[in-house]
Amino acid sequence: MQQSNAYIITFSVILTVVLGLLLSGTSQVLGPLQREAEALDKKKQILGAVISGEEISAMSPQEVNDYYTNRISSIVVDINGKEVSEQGGVAVTAETVDIAKNYKKPADQRLYPVFIYHAEGNADQVESYIFPLYGAGLWDAIWGFIALDTDMNTVGGITLAHAGETPGLGARITEPGVQARYVGKTIFDESGDLVAVEMQKGEGKDYSSQPHQIDGMSGATITGKGVNSMLKDYLGHYEAYIESKKSGAVAAL
Amino acid sequence: MELFNLGIRSIFIDNMIFAYFLGMCSFLAVSKKVSTAIGLGAAVIFVLTVTVPVNWLLNEYVLKEGALTWVSADLASIDLTFLRFIMFIAIIAAMVQLVEMVVEKFAPALYGALGIFLPLIAVNCAILGGSLFMAQRDYTIAESAVYGFGSGTGFCLAIVALAAIREKLKYSAVPNGLKGLGITMLLTGLMGIAFMSFMGIDL
Amino acid sequence: MSAETVEKAIEKKPAEELLSKRRKKLVTDPLVDDNPITIQVLGICSALAVTTQMKPTLVMAISVIFVVVMSNLVISLMRNTIPSRVRIIVQLAVVATLVTLVSEVLRAFAYDMYKELSVFIGLIITNCIVMGRLEAFALGNKPYDSVLDGFGSALGYSWIILTVAFFRELLGSGSVFGLPIYDTISGLFGPDFKLATNGLMVSPVGAFVILGLIIWVQRTKTGYVEH
Repeated sequence: MQQSNAYIITFSVILTVVLGLLLSGTSQVLGPLQREAEALDKKKQILGAVISGEEISAMSPQEVNDYYTNRISSIVVDINGKEVSEQGGVAVTAETVDIAKNYKKPADQRLYPVFIYHAEGNADQVESYIFPLYGAGLWDAIWGFIALDTDMNTVGGITLAHAGETPGLGARITEPGVQARYVGKTIFDESGDLVAVEMQKGEGKDYSSQPHQIDGMSGATITGKGVNSMLKDYLGHYEAYIESKKSGAVAAL
Repeated sequence: MELFNLGIRSIFIDNMIFAYFLGMCSFLAVSKKVSTAIGLGAAVIFVLTVTVPVNWLLNEYVLKEGALTWVSADLASIDLTFLRFIMFIAIIAAMVQLVEMVVEKFAPALYGALGIFLPLIAVNCAILGGSLFMAQRDYTIAESAVYGFGSGTGFCLAIVALAAIREKLKYSAVPNGLKGLGITMLLTGLMGIAFMSFMGIDL
Repeated sequence: MSAETVEKAIEKKPAEELLSKRRKKLVTDPLVDDNPITIQVLGICSALAVTTQMKPTLVMAISVIFVVVMSNLVISLMRNTIPSRVRIIVQLAVVATLVTLVSEVLRAFAYDMYKELSVFIGLIITNCIVMGRLEAFALGNKPYDSVLDGFGSALGYSWIILTVAFFRELLGSGSVFGLPIYDTISGLFGPDFKLATNGLMVSPVGAFVILGLIIWVQRTKTGYVEH
């Protein structure tokens, strides 16, 4: 059966309108829920640097939100460690800074959010500072959050995630066992230079006496290198802020 | 240099077939003869190289959050990402049709060779996959052109190689149950292992 | 069109019971004898990439069932109004809309899954099973039959990818649905006993090999030989 052009056009227009309405309706209805889910996911990642993944997955969304509100305060700084409250006339908050988008800009133009983990309800009693990380692994982007103790030197915890590392090899950066290797390491050497923490090649050696080295993941040397340079880069970008807090901490003592 | 890396990577390492299983249907169906495999492979390269950058433009200037700012500043908050699937597939179908007509008009010889494959391609996962990966990975226009060409070449390479092996396979005694699809799957697995050797390349 | 004559033949019969023999066959045929993956060689594309673990595979399977059934229903309802010249693009539009719905719902209610499946949900659009069933069945048959047909095909597809995922997760990560099977077993034999996981299983190669073996077993049983 061959229909006239007019029929085909009318049919197409009606179909387009119906499907278009259906889709935009869904997007309108689900939009707020999606943004909530995204925000919750980000909060979980941030908290992952200071509390264990099992604890987080046991929490209900409401509990995560409450915990986050009670325990985390945040600021945004620039490369010089100065606090930034607005950019181009738009107010910025740490939660809305898109790390991945900022990663595409030159380092000195990026916004750097800092999440401060403090005692419940008391923002002055800081327990650790959480910094975002972002870089390239073997295949695709890797990112995470690292928590530094108040001495701004000792790693309190780290959480790492990836978009497409090899399962069973590079993807192991998400394992709690691998992430636990970072805890207690220090990022500055004796002369005060930033050296970060370096994952070594090969696996199964004991690095407990080395303050800046941790055991590697066998078969995932390139992912490990990616994690190393990501740590070094981002801690480097935050160095001005870290130094300011360090001298502040010394002065306070 | 960056672009060169991306090209190499999309051909060998992020190979559409061996790493992402995309375009498997035509990969299995059209790999019985080398000559037809070359035809399909060329058509895929062609269509991917055209559609990925075109969809990039669409994504960048219409669909992305804040993409409509160039029309008027009031539209900055509009996010049409939910239309991504339907728009991408529409563009792909339209581009395939267009390419088909242009090729038929200006290069009848090429049309004779590619003609029957072009309509097949609109529903080839590799084509839509290329555009979706481009959007997900935030490529620039130059990167998306290189990526489109590279992943098409990777597909072409894989299908021609498989067809060559299958032509030889006719003379081997394969168990009945494994004939056709079964042995092809195992073969693809072995080829995948061979391609894994590219993984160690540090770009 | 041969499909239309089939339909007429059916209409002549007095009201058919809800689950007649013929209708049952619509659902059961694609499970083994006419399986879309192992016999018809359709829809292998997007799905295999998610089969490293059972959980995302299950979500993928459910999404595909939803999309195939719904698109079969919609296209079958519209089958007499769709202009034949633009039918492919109409089908694509309907399928793309349904897939977008699935993706939006996942993003709102199961964000972790949405992240994990990423582009592969979108690739359901080009899953050959969906288009294949629309072209071959829904365009020429009544809605209820089309729904059954779509359900059968999608189910046939689902059990295959779930089987692949079961072996890949068990052998590759030593677990099933995230439950650590290997650790539990080795726990029974003392601390020094360890079961090794096979890294090849989590790589794409594992999927090809396992699927090849499943096809072998299945075809040997059904006696189907490809020439």
